[in-house]
Amino acid sequence: MDAVEKANAERQKRWAKDQKVGEGTYAVVYRGREAVNQRKVAIKKIKVGQFKDGLDMSAIREVKYLRELHHQNIIELLDVFSSKTNLNLVLEFLDSDLEMIIKDRTLVFLPADIKSWMAMTFRGLEFCHRNFVLHRDLKPNNLLIASDGQLKIADFGLARDFADPGYKMTCQVITRWYRPPELLYGSRYYSTAVDVWSVGCIFAELMLRTPYLPGETDMDQLKTIFRALGTPTEEDWPGHTKLPDYVPVGQFPRTPLRDLFTAATADALNLLGKCLIYEPRKRISARDALHHPYFFALPYPSHPSKLPKVSTQTPSRPLEEVDGNVDMNASGPGVKAAAPNRLKRKLTSPGDELSGRPLARRLDFTQKRV
Amino acid sequence: MSNRANVGGWLQGKTIRKGGVVSTNTHSGRSSTPQVQSTSTTVFGGGVKDVSGRTSEYFSMDDQCPVCKSDRYLNPKLRLLVSSCYHKMCESCIDRLFTLGPAPCPICQKVLRKLAFTPQTFEDLTVEKEVAVRRRIAKEFNKRREDFLDLRGYNDYLEEVEDITFNLINDIDVAQTEERIQAHKKENASLIEKNIQRDEQYAQALREQEEADRQEREQRALEARREEELQREEREKDRREIIDRLETSNTDAAKVIAKSRAEANKRSSARTTVDSVLKSNAQLLRSRAARSTTIPDVPHIPLQDDWYAYEDAYVLMNSYEDPYSEAVRKDRDGIMRAGGYRVDQAWERAVRSAVMGLDLLPLTEQGSFSNSCPADIVMAPV
Repeated sequence: MDAVEKANAERQKRWAKDQKVGEGTYAVVYRGREAVNQRKVAIKKIKVGQFKDGLDMSAIREVKYLRELHHQNIIELLDVFSSKTNLNLVLEFLDSDLEMIIKDRTLVFLPADIKSWMAMTFRGLEFCHRNFVLHRDLKPNNLLIASDGQLKIADFGLARDFADPGYKMTCQVITRWYRPPELLYGSRYYSTAVDVWSVGCIFAELMLRTPYLPGETDMDQLKTIFRALGTPTEEDWPGHTKLPDYVPVGQFPRTPLRDLFTAATADALNLLGKCLIYEPRKRISARDALHHPYFFALPYPSHPSKLPKVSTQTPSRPLEEVDGNVDMNASGPGVKAAAPNRLKRKLTSPGDELSGRPLARRLDFTQKRV
Repeated sequence: MSNRANVGGWLQGKTIRKGGVVSTNTHSGRSSTPQVQSTSTTVFGGGVKDVSGRTSEYFSMDDQCPVCKSDRYLNPKLRLLVSSCYHKMCESCIDRLFTLGPAPCPICQKVLRKLAFTPQTFEDLTVEKEVAVRRRIAKEFNKRREDFLDLRGYNDYLEEVEDITFNLINDIDVAQTEERIQAHKKENASLIEKNIQRDEQYAQALREQEEADRQEREQRALEARREEELQREEREKDRREIIDRLETSNTDAAKVIAKSRAEANKRSSARTTVDSVLKSNAQLLRSRAARSTTIPDVPHIPLQDDWYAYEDAYVLMNSYEDPYSEAVRKDRDGIMRAGGYRVDQAWERAVRSAVMGLDLLPLTEQGSFSNSCPADIVMAPV
């Protein structure tokens, strides 16, 4: 056994694998423990053998960026080791994600809770951006929630570093509902602003408790965006008509955000509006967003330990980091392949939402935390 | 004669409202500060006395009544009281001047009533006045940070309160200021009431906590005393037993003593384990109580590290001589701009990467990294 193998065996011994919790296209996730102190971890086993042209891209990306990014609001990669022909990533164990929380209708969000989640998201995102890493797949189920309430950005399978001038990046990234218009128009040269759009959509989703811009196809996604925010003019977004995949999709008038977000404060709408500006250069940066008055206004953001949590644990539920493969041919809204025993995200129109449930549950801005 | 018992009652923290009727049958065993002696038939209460009762009425050997010039040498029971216009005079002067109804103050001519005289707490009467004014204002202006939409509004409010307080302390526009107070009171009546209740609830919670702590302490003291008693009895019994045994048995005396000693030791060690169990129980209770108190929300702090403190390591120029990015900057088709790509971000990255390692200490001989790295990019521990 040479030195490398010995070191690997040494490392492998540190972690104990328990039961399988989920399977994705390129990885299987196990629940595990650290041998020394029984700390819970998630072990993501990447199947290497199946791929003819080497290791899957997402796995490389994930390891590449998570090895370097260490922040309170970013999932931690604890260790990497190989077993037989497989590569194993040892990740922090996180029990729920923001999507589960949004979908759990028994939970009531206070404005302070939303503020707290947003602040944590922006903090994690700002950390990625300051290190010139674009996440490129922000959505509620990639925002994991730790047991102490801390929100952590996960799934760096689509992340990449900021491109050098003149280098093309792919525009087939970010789950459709959270994809900004410049990517839908096929721009190959973009920047950190793409992630901010996604966060804007998540912000809106937290307030509405239903996806804000659920387009069914890429074409429909553009239409959905323009229906909500108005068709951009050349003045709003100079040069967008010259983008590679530009197609006119009809004229929609701009409706004020206030019409949909009736209970939101002026500060909240101002921040939301700035995250959803068409012109990517004018879109607020993560750093500026953290300094937005919304976060300083009362109520103060909830302490993470007081945030609503999903109460009942379903043991069969696979972990979120399971999938992460770009599935270009999939017809569903996700870029990712859905894990086998996961419910697919259902599309619901706001009308159904209203008739089905009491309105008060959707958002409660009046109640103050005692 | 004086009703000293009442004075004692007052000093032990009975609330006697200014001008209120004082019941004369509060008998307390002893007066906590025997040097203050009242010669008046009226019991003077109020003023800014310490609620906890730790400080008593101000009293000095050099006291002299400014009105009748009588001093402690002439009248050992001299007690000076303070009027609502903050002038001092002795009890006999007060009795003499104000018994027949309101009369002008002999010093400033303000019309005073007998019951408006209060005991003195502070040596300096300006302090006395300031404390009284602040106490009164705090009762009426009790809004909190949560009652305002923004920090600005709260600060303005605090400014106004301070303004009013200052005016009252220094007798500036008193009538106008009083009007302002009344207006505020009328406007915010319900809020003030609510805040008073909130404060009371908080005080109540504190009192309960204190009470619980006290009971626990007492319980422990009792336990300890009982323990001691038990131990003493046991020792006594042991001794008697040894004597008995020595009397009756015919084994070696030293052996008998050693045997009973060992038994006693065993018993005492058993006791200490019981003790520690009791102690850990108490600790558990306390920690649980600490956890159950809610963690307060804290104001938003945008970034929680000092990353941007190091921005002075370089200055980013507006433009660089950069043939590499020329095509991008010319952007003939305008697609870079519309897609949001920014050359300046690429430049920033390059410059930042260039200066990033500058404050790192060079590798030492052992090849270990120093920990003074300001950058957040640190390789994962491998």
